[in-house]
Amino acid sequence: MRHQLGRRGLVAGAALAVGLLAAPALQAQSPVTITFRFNDPEAPQMRAALDEFEKANPSIKVNMQRISWADMQQQYLREAATGTAPDVVHISFVQPRSFGGGKALRPLDDLIARDGAQMGVKGWNDFFARDLAEGPDGKTYAVPWTTDTFTMMYNTELFEQAGIKEFPTTWAGLRDASRQIHQRTGKAGWGFPAGSCATPSIWFYMNYYFWSDGPGWIDQDASGKFVMGVTPEKATEALEYYNSYITEGHNPRSNLSVCLWGAPELVEGMLTGNTAMASMPDTVAIEILTKWDQRNPGKKRPFMTAPHPGGKNGSVTNFGGRMLGISPNAKNVEQAWALVKFLTKPDPTFKHYNNYTPAQRAAIDSRAWDPELAGYPKQLANSRSWGPYATGPVPIPFMWNAVGRAAGSVFIGEKTAQAAGRELHDTIARELARLQQR
Amino acid sequence: MHANVKGFVAFALVPAFFFLGAFYVYPFVFNLDISATDLDIFQLRDGGRWIGLENYIELLTSPGFRRVMFNTVIWLTVVGVTVRIVLGLALAFLLDSRTIRAWRLSTLTRILLIVPWATPPVVAIVVWRWILDPRVGAANQFLMWLGFIDQPIPFLADANWVWPSIILIITWNTLPLVTLTFMASLQSLPGELVEAAEIDGASRTQLLRYIYLPHLKPAIIVMAMMSTFWTFNNFIYVWLTTGAGPGTFTNVMATEIYIKGFIDGRLGYSAAAGVVMAMIMTAFGMIYLRYVAARALVEEEDR
Repeated sequence: MRHQLGRRGLVAGAALAVGLLAAPALQAQSPVTITFRFNDPEAPQMRAALDEFEKANPSIKVNMQRISWADMQQQYLREAATGTAPDVVHISFVQPRSFGGGKALRPLDDLIARDGAQMGVKGWNDFFARDLAEGPDGKTYAVPWTTDTFTMMYNTELFEQAGIKEFPTTWAGLRDASRQIHQRTGKAGWGFPAGSCATPSIWFYMNYYFWSDGPGWIDQDASGKFVMGVTPEKATEALEYYNSYITEGHNPRSNLSVCLWGAPELVEGMLTGNTAMASMPDTVAIEILTKWDQRNPGKKRPFMTAPHPGGKNGSVTNFGGRMLGISPNAKNVEQAWALVKFLTKPDPTFKHYNNYTPAQRAAIDSRAWDPELAGYPKQLANSRSWGPYATGPVPIPFMWNAVGRAAGSVFIGEKTAQAAGRELHDTIARELARLQQR
Repeated sequence: MHANVKGFVAFALVPAFFFLGAFYVYPFVFNLDISATDLDIFQLRDGGRWIGLENYIELLTSPGFRRVMFNTVIWLTVVGVTVRIVLGLALAFLLDSRTIRAWRLSTLTRILLIVPWATPPVVAIVVWRWILDPRVGAANQFLMWLGFIDQPIPFLADANWVWPSIILIITWNTLPLVTLTFMASLQSLPGELVEAAEIDGASRTQLLRYIYLPHLKPAIIVMAMMSTFWTFNNFIYVWLTTGAGPGTFTNVMATEIYIKGFIDGRLGYSAAAGVVMAMIMTAFGMIYLRYVAARALVEEEDR
C-alpha cells in the first residue's frame, strides 16, 4: 500500500513539477489583453480594424469598450483618478491639454522619440494639430488620429427653384438665401439645430460668425495674457443673427428640439428635401450621400457643399478631430502603443473606418473627395485650431455649455439677445478671471 | 437588561452602524470637505485647494440661483407633488368605487394602474420623448388630425409647454404608487361608518369632507412628504427629458449640480450645491414632521 502511494505521489509530483516549469512558457504564449475605449458610432467598422490588428499581432488581444462622447470625459477622468482607466482612450482635439495637465494621460514623448519616424504615412512630423496634443508642461499626451471640419451642404434643386445661382459668401447673404428659399419653395432654409444641451451645435456656428470677423471668446493679447475677445455687443449681434432664422420662420421651430449636427431629424430633412441647407462635418455629409444613393439608385445627387460665409477674415471654421491617448495606469504600455501606431496607419484602419480622414497631411492630400463634397477641402484650407480656447484657462466644455444655454434662452423668447449676450459675456469673463487668479 | 443581552444587542447593531457610517456619514463628511475646496474634474489626482465658504457664497449670490430654486421648488416640487396627490386621490376614489366593482373591473384597472409604475423611468422618458416629438410624435400627429393645431408643437423645447410636459411624464410614471397607497387606505375604512353617515343623510360632499378625507389624512401626509423628497432631489426626469433646457428654462438643483460638476468640471462648487440641497430638505423634513405630520397624527390618535 505504502509502495503504491509512493508511486502515485511520485507521478503526481512529477506532473506538478512539469506544470510549474511549463507555466512561464504557457504564460509567454497567452496573449496580453488591452482595452480600447472607442466613442464613435462606427463600432463594427472599428472592430474589423481591431481584428486586423490582432491578426498582425497575435500576442495582443483588444477589448473594445464603448461609451458616448457625451459621457466619455467624466467617466474617463474618474477612472484615471482611481487607476481603472482603459489602456488606450479615444479623445477629442480639445482634451489632451486638460487631461495631460491633470495627469490623466501618460506622456508619449519617449515613445514618439523612439518610433516617430515610422508613425502614420510620413512620420510624426506629418501629423497636424500636434500643438493641441501637448499639455501645459510641453509634453505630448496624445496622437492626432482623425480630423474634420464643418462645411455647408445644400440642396441644388431648392436653390434653383428659389432662383439662387451661387452659394452665398457673406452672413447676410446666407440669411437672405435662407429666407428666399422659404418664401419661394415653402421649405426650410438653413435648418440648423437650435436645441439646448451640454454640447450644442450653435457653439460652432457662433464661433464661425465671430472668427470670420475678429477674435473668438478668448483671445491672447500682445503680452500673451488671455483676455475676452468677444464684446457683449458682438455676442448680442451673433445671438440676434441666429435668432432671426427662427423668428422669421425659415429655420422651423421644431429644430428647437434638435441639439446635435448629425441628428436623424436633420439628416432626414436633407434627404427628403424639406431642408435646403445644413452645416455638418464630412462624416454626416457622407451619411447623407450614402442614404440618398440607397433610396434613389441611379439618380443624380441634388447636393453640393461650400465653405461657410465669411467676413473680413474670410470663411473660418475649426479644425475638429480626435486623438488617441494612453492612460497613466496602463500596464501594457508597449502593446497599447503598438495599437496606437497601427490605428494611425491609413491602411488598413481607414479602409474600415472610412467615414473619417486621418489627421496627417499626406493622407488628406491623397484623399479623393466625391464631387458633392468639394467644399470640404476648401473649408479645411480655411480652418483654424481652437487656439486660445485650448491653451487658455477656461475649459471648452464650460464655454460650450454656456453658449448653448444662452442661445436657447433667446430662441425660446425667454431672454432678449441683448440680455443673454451680456450675461453670456459676463459668465465667461467671470470664469476667466476666476481661473487666472488660481 | 442583562449584560449579556446588552452585549448581544450592541453586537447585532454593529453591521447597521457600519453601513450607516460607510454609506451615509462618510460620504456626507467627504462631500462637506470637498465643498470647501476648488477641486475640479481635471485635477482629481492633485486634489483641490481649501477656499472656505467661497463656493457657498458664489452659489447663493449667483444670478441663476433664484431661477434654479424657483424651478425646483415651485414647478418640480409644489406643482408636481400637488398634481400627483390630487390625481392620485381622484383615481383612488374612482378605482375603489362601487361602479368599478359592480362592473367587475377592479382587477383589470389595478393591473393597468401598475403598468406605468413597472416601467423604468428611463424607458418611460424615452417613450414620452418620442410621443411628444414635433416631427414624428404621436401627440402632435393626433392633435393635427383632430384639427386642434396646424403646426406641430415642440413640447419639450417650447417655454409654454415644457414644464407641463415634464410634470405629465413624472405624473404618469409615479401616479400609481400614490393611487395604490390611497386605495389601500380607503379599503381600511370601515364600511359601517359610511353606511351610518349615509343613513343619517350625509351628502357626497359631507362624506368626503367628514369621513373619507380625515381617514385618508395620515396617508396623504406621508405620501406628500415622501413625494416631496423624491421629487426635489430628482435628476433623471428633467435631465433625460430636456437636459435642463431649453436654455436654462428647466434647470433644477439636481441638474445644476450635474452641470457644474461634470460639464463645467467644478466639483467643489457642485458639492456645495449638494450640501445646500441637503440642508433645504432637512429643514423641510423637520418643519413638516414637527408642525404638520406630528399634529395631524396626534389628531388621528385622539379620534
